[in-house]
Order: sequence, then structure tokens, then C-alpha cells
Amino acid sequence: MPSTDRPAAPIQRVRGTNDVLPPEDARLRRLEANLRRSFERFGYQGIQTPILEPLELFLRKSGDEILARMYAFSHWNRRLCLRPELTASVMRAFVDSMQGHGLPVRLHYAGPSFRYERPSRGRSRQFTQVGMELIGAAGPAADAEVLHLACAGLEAVGIKKYRLVVGHLASTLQLLAQLGMTDHAQGLVLDQLEPVARGRLDLDGAVARVVDRLGGGRMNGSGGDAPPGLPSALASLPPDQATAIASDILSRASLPIEGGARQPHQIIQRLLARANRPDPTDQVRAAFEFVAELRSAAGQPARLERELRPVLEKRGLSTTPIDEVSAALGFLQAYGPLSDEMEIEVDLSLARGLRYYTGLVFEIYVDAEDGPLQVCGGGRYDDLVRALGGREAVPACGFMYGLERVELALGTAESPRPPRVLVVGVDPDDHPYALKVAHELRSVPQLIVEQDVRLRGVKSALRYADRATIDLVVIVGRRERDDATVVLRDMRSRQETVVPRGELVGVVQRQLA
Amino acid sequence: MSALRIALPSKGWEEVTLDFLGHCGLRVDRSNPRQYRARMRGLPGGAAEVVFQRATDIFDEVNGGTVDLGITGYDIVAEHRSEEDEIVVVHGELGFRRCSLVLAVPEGWVDVTSVADLAEVAVELRSAGRALRVATKYPNLARQFLYDRGITYFELVEVSGAIEAAPMLETADIVCDITSSGVTLRENRLKSVAGGVVVESQACLIGHRRGLLSDPERLEATHGLLELIEAYLRSRQQVSITANIRGESAEGVARRVLASGVVAGLRGPTVARVFPKDAAAGDWFALTVVVGEDVLLAAVESLRHAGASEVTATQVRYVFEQQSWTFEALKRQLYGPADDKTDLEKTTAWSSS
Repeated sequence: MPSTDRPAAPIQRVRGTNDVLPPEDARLRRLEANLRRSFERFGYQGIQTPILEPLELFLRKSGDEILARMYAFSHWNRRLCLRPELTASVMRAFVDSMQGHGLPVRLHYAGPSFRYERPSRGRSRQFTQVGMELIGAAGPAADAEVLHLACAGLEAVGIKKYRLVVGHLASTLQLLAQLGMTDHAQGLVLDQLEPVARGRLDLDGAVARVVDRLGGGRMNGSGGDAPPGLPSALASLPPDQATAIASDILSRASLPIEGGARQPHQIIQRLLARANRPDPTDQVRAAFEFVAELRSAAGQPARLERELRPVLEKRGLSTTPIDEVSAALGFLQAYGPLSDEMEIEVDLSLARGLRYYTGLVFEIYVDAEDGPLQVCGGGRYDDLVRALGGREAVPACGFMYGLERVELALGTAESPRPPRVLVVGVDPDDHPYALKVAHELRSVPQLIVEQDVRLRGVKSALRYADRATIDLVVIVGRRERDDATVVLRDMRSRQETVVPRGELVGVVQRQLA
Repeated sequence: MSALRIALPSKGWEEVTLDFLGHCGLRVDRSNPRQYRARMRGLPGGAAEVVFQRATDIFDEVNGGTVDLGITGYDIVAEHRSEEDEIVVVHGELGFRRCSLVLAVPEGWVDVTSVADLAEVAVELRSAGRALRVATKYPNLARQFLYDRGITYFELVEVSGAIEAAPMLETADIVCDITSSGVTLRENRLKSVAGGVVVESQACLIGHRRGLLSDPERLEATHGLLELIEAYLRSRQQVSITANIRGESAEGVARRVLASGVVAGLRGPTVARVFPKDAAAGDWFALTVVVGEDVLLAAVESLRHAGASEVTATQVRYVFEQQSWTFEALKRQLYGPADDKTDLEKTTAWSSS
């Protein structure tokens, strides 16, 4: 590039991402360490996984809603993505190299995740998840450990007023199966539960969207190329015969079934199956109405028995989810008292944005200025290990915090700043002596000792000390070297004293105490 | 003095674009038809510099700022836009080169008539360990469209050359491609599916944000261009009717005509007294009104009912309003978020009128 006098244009950071500047960075790292420390006391060990993952990892079980918001790309013919969350990555690592370990395996992690969403307060396209997974333990005792750690972690960093919402996906999953919905249709319904619960979509809108994706409410004879009624007539014949007749008719109509990747018999069979399929509208509506009924029965844990049990019994659904939630909440109490200001709500309609959950699910909210802020979410996902190629099904449960949201919930209370000292040599010749002095000062615990390295003299160094809010400046020149002393300047009071080098550490400690 | 620089599409787009500009009153001169550079006359501030380029390259030229404005397809803009680009859509609907980006499947897939069917086929292929292969030159639009409709197991295939041939050559299963009449799809034994329109497209005018912001003269030339385009587009299918009507007074004639409904015109009829050669002929008035081409005959009929004799009709060339709404919209795009809601409402009002 030709050199010009014009300064190069500055580079903008990517929209929806943030530079974390000091002192924010220190605050976030401290927060992350405090959250993870509470996991370690329970035997969880740290794990790191790559930010870059094969796209396939998230195609398997994450659900369409999250896929549409992923940073996915092709690099030298490999389909890759930036991870949208960490649980799938951690479980891939488990399947890859920890299947032989004794169960349960307890892991905790932290790292950036990426979702292509409209940026707003508390939502960036790059955000930090801090979480844990309890792998290889099923049942309420394991669920309760996860719930307890989610609450205890928040309380450890100073969040005492929060709302824990506990749900269980098994009731909804069982109802969908009872309604006879295909896996594809079930997935579509599950994906819409979160937008409905969050009020982004009403019940009619959700039904319409799912029915539309299932091909609309007019399944019978809707094949544009086949005469109406023919598929249903064929459907009454034995499959082989029907296929033969359909192929014959289509080839006479010069519509050869050359499907490329699809076999002619597959095309015919799907055509006939489609013709026989009932209109899905009623099924889909029933599913959403059931979820709405669960929602209106939600509330204090006491409502589990009074309100929720009848809803399930009425439809002949298993009441195991209620028993499991009750048992988990019972164990949770036995872990010891949580903050007086926390509330528990039971809501069996709770749905998370990810499709792999199978049992107990939960979220934690903190009240912020502009409404409730979700700081934590998690649940049980007993099928994920198999879906990711595990040798056998391994039950698992876990959760993650949104680190930036936890920080937002905490507010920007100023944390005490550690004291700082700057050591300056008068001339470049004094620099080696100044380095030795700085080295001695670093023996003081917590003390931050900076060294002047610009070597532009005392005046310039003091100007810097002023702007950088340094507490003490230690100045050494030829005279001080000869006398084995230093000049100690207190930047707050502007007083200077001559201190023998041997007493410096003690004097500094006293002045900063 | 800085001339406005505008890129016009070459190849198959050239004739229709020059026709459109001609109708707007803008003449593009060049020494011979194979020249890539030309001058466009008819704008305030002198002739604009024109370069001819392929429609697909015009987006990059405008984005890079080597030209201030460009005419290209909306489909191309939609595919290439990013959140941090320098593009403003100056006029989104120039009304020519209409086409759609659609999903199309082999005719032999008789079980597939909608996008929902396609979603099921993708699931079916997935369980057979395969991905639905989609050939397209629009990977961003295709990917987002499929994701939004719950189709996640697919593979985009980059094809050089004819997209429509990909399924026959078995390099892809389906295509996501541009069509206007559907003939090319049919020739390649492909059919579109219900709900499979990714983008409806037509020619549009785009501009380089910083270039327009930094040069008042070019912005003023753009203003003139928009005035002409907007007035021409508004005038299409409009005819101006003049009729002689017998009556007692101008008010009476206007009342009778307005009561007939059809000939209300853009704002109302203009009625002026006629001074007949023969004084015994009584009182006559000339009425002028602008109506849509589609109601011309009905208007003539109701004028006859109102007592009109001779009726003449002429094609309207321009309809100017009190300001160019697209230019006002452009200024809002350039100078920051709109705080004037009424202006926004006006902008949408004219496009629907």
C-alpha cells in the first residue's frame, strides 16, 4: 500500500459485540471466578471447549429457533459455526473423551457464546455463559443439586432477591405423543412454546405458524399435480398396488418420477401418506391450549397438588412430573436456607429456547428497571448424549448464567480498588536501582507496583501518576542511590519524605493502611 | 463542480433501463453503443457521468463509493446488504425488471407442492443420512428463508453457470433462483412450490451514504432525479380528460360531475368558462380532470351523463406533488432517525394512492 499522510480509517467493532475495558474487565473476571468457586466446593471441575464447532453439533438437538440465529459459515468446505451455547459442546467433549469416567461427572465452564439477535440492553451478540453440568445422575436428588447451585451461586455474588421458576417438560412431551403428533410436528410446537410464554406470539398466532409449517389445514388431495380424490382412492388399496398404479398414472401423464436423490417409491409413498393425513389444526390447537392451561395453573409450589395435578389427571397424563418437581424442591430446602427475599414459582408450561430438554427445567429472574431480567436457565436433558453419538443413554442436568446479565443485575457498585505505587528513576542511569526497589515493594500483599518505563523524568512521571490515580510515588536518583534512601511522595497529600531503603516496605504499608 | 456519478446495468438490463430513464425525461448519450461510459442529461447541475456495469457488480461499486448512485435489482441488494454497509435504498420500486427469487423442485416430486412438504422431505433425507442440496446464487437469502421456515438440514451448492440445470445434472436436489415468467423453470422440468417466494424483486435505485452526505451538489442532483422518477411513476396509467359541458354555472357543473363519482380526479375537477362562437349555444364550461387509465371509459360515460359533448384524453407525463416524498425519505435515512411521524405517513400514502 502506498504511504500517505492521511491517517488510516479506524476499524469499527462488529455490531452487537463489546470491548470490555478496565475496570469492567476485572469486575467481570472476579464475578466469573466467584460464581465458579461455588461450583468447585461441590466437586465440579473446570472444562474448556472450542468456540468454533461443527455446525452438525447444533443441528442435532438444539431446535430451529436457535439455528436461525447462529453464526454459521463454510470454511474450506467444512460447515462450522461459533457456538450459540456451551452445553452441547461440553456434552460433545464428554462423548468424545469422558465416557469411561466414573459417574457422575461434574463439570463447570465459562466462555463466550454467539447469537445473531437484535442487540439491546442485556443482550449482545457475543455474551459469556458460566455454567455447570451434572452428567450421569437422574432423578430429583440430582435436579436439586443443580437447583441449589444455581441459587447459591447468585447469592454468593450478592444477588439475594430473585425468582426461581421451575417447570417440567415431560407433561407437554407426553401430551404431544398422546395427540399422535409426528416428531417433526412435536418439534415445531416445542419451538413455539418459548415465544408464546414470553408473550411474543399469541395462541392463535402460534397455532397458525405451526399449521402453516406443517403444510396448512388442507392436507387431503392437495397434491397440485394429482387429480383431487385420487390419492385418497389409492390409499384404500394395498401399498404395493397403490404405488404401482400411481407410478403408472404419472408416467402416462409424462411426469416421470426422477427424484435424483429420492427413490420413486419414496415419492409415491409420501404422496399417499400425505393424502391420508388428517388436518393438523385441531391437534396443534389442543397442544397449545394444554400449555396455556398449565400456564394458568402456575404459581406457588403449593399449587402443584391443588391445581396442576387435576390438569394432568383429567387428560390421563402421568403425574410423575409433579412428583419429581415436588421431590426436587423438597431436597432443595434441605440444602439449607436460601435468601428470605427469593421466591419459587412452579410453572409446568415453562419452555426453554433449546429443544434438547426432557425433564425438569428452570429459569431465574431478577427484577431490573425495565422488567424482569433472566440471569440463569437450565434443566434436564437425558437424550442428548445418545443424540451426540454416546454409547449409551446418560442422564444429565445443568444450567448456565449469562455473566453480563448477572453483572447488570448486581448494578455497578464500586468495588474497593487495590492501592497502587509508581516507582520512578530520575535518570535512565537510575532505572536498574528503581527496578530493585519495585521488586522489594511487590512483596507487599495486594499492592500494585508500576514501574516508570518511559524514562522521561520525574515531572512527566508525576503527571501520569496524577491522571492514573496512583496513590504513592517512589522516586530514586543519584543522591538516593548513594545514601541508600528513596523519596516517597504521597499523591493524595502531595507530601514528600525521605525514607531509608530498608524501611520503605514498612513505611508504605503504614501509609496505605 | 462535481458531477453526479451513476452506474447503470449493462447486458440484458440496458435497454429497459434506458427506456425507463427516457420516460423520466433523462437522456443518456454516448458516442457508440459499446462504450462503457456516457453522460446523462436532464438533471440540475449539469450532466451526470454514467458507467455501464453488470447489475451484480453495481452493488459493490456503490458500496465502495466509486459511484454515487446505481440502478440494480432489489434481489441483488437484499442478498449483498450487511448491517454495516454504506448503501441507502434511494428508491425501492422503479417498476421494471420485476422477478421473484423462488424455491423450485423437480416436477417429478409430485408429493411436494408447498414449503411444508419440502421441510418434510428435508427431514426424510436427513434420516437417510443426506442433506437436501439447494443450488443457488443467493446463499444469504436462501439460508435465512429456509431457517425461518424450520428447514435446517440442507446444504447450499454453489453452481457456476445455469442454476436451473443443477437438479437434472444431479449436482443439487432443488434450486433457489430468479424467475419472471417461469418458462426457464418449466424447460428444466422444475416447478415452484406454494409459499416458496423468497423475495419479490424489481429494479431499484441505491446510493452511497457518505458520498451523498458529503456533497450538496450531488445530493441536489439526486433530488432532481427523484423528482422526475417519482412524477413519472405517479403519472403512469393516468390520463388527463378535457370535456365541454353545458351548464348554468361553474359550481353547478362541478357539483354534477363530482356527484357522478368516477371523475373526482387527483383533487377535483377544474372548471372554466367557455366563450362559444355562437352566442345562442348557451353557457358552456370546459372541465379538466386526471383519472386512472382503467376508469377512462367509465369516466367518459359519467361525463356524458353530466352533459358533456366533446371529450379529449391525453396521456399524463408527470404528476408532481408538493414535494418529492422519496427525497424526504432519503434525507431521513442520511441524516438520522425520523422524528417526524407525519412525514413518514405521507411517504406511505403516496405509494398506495
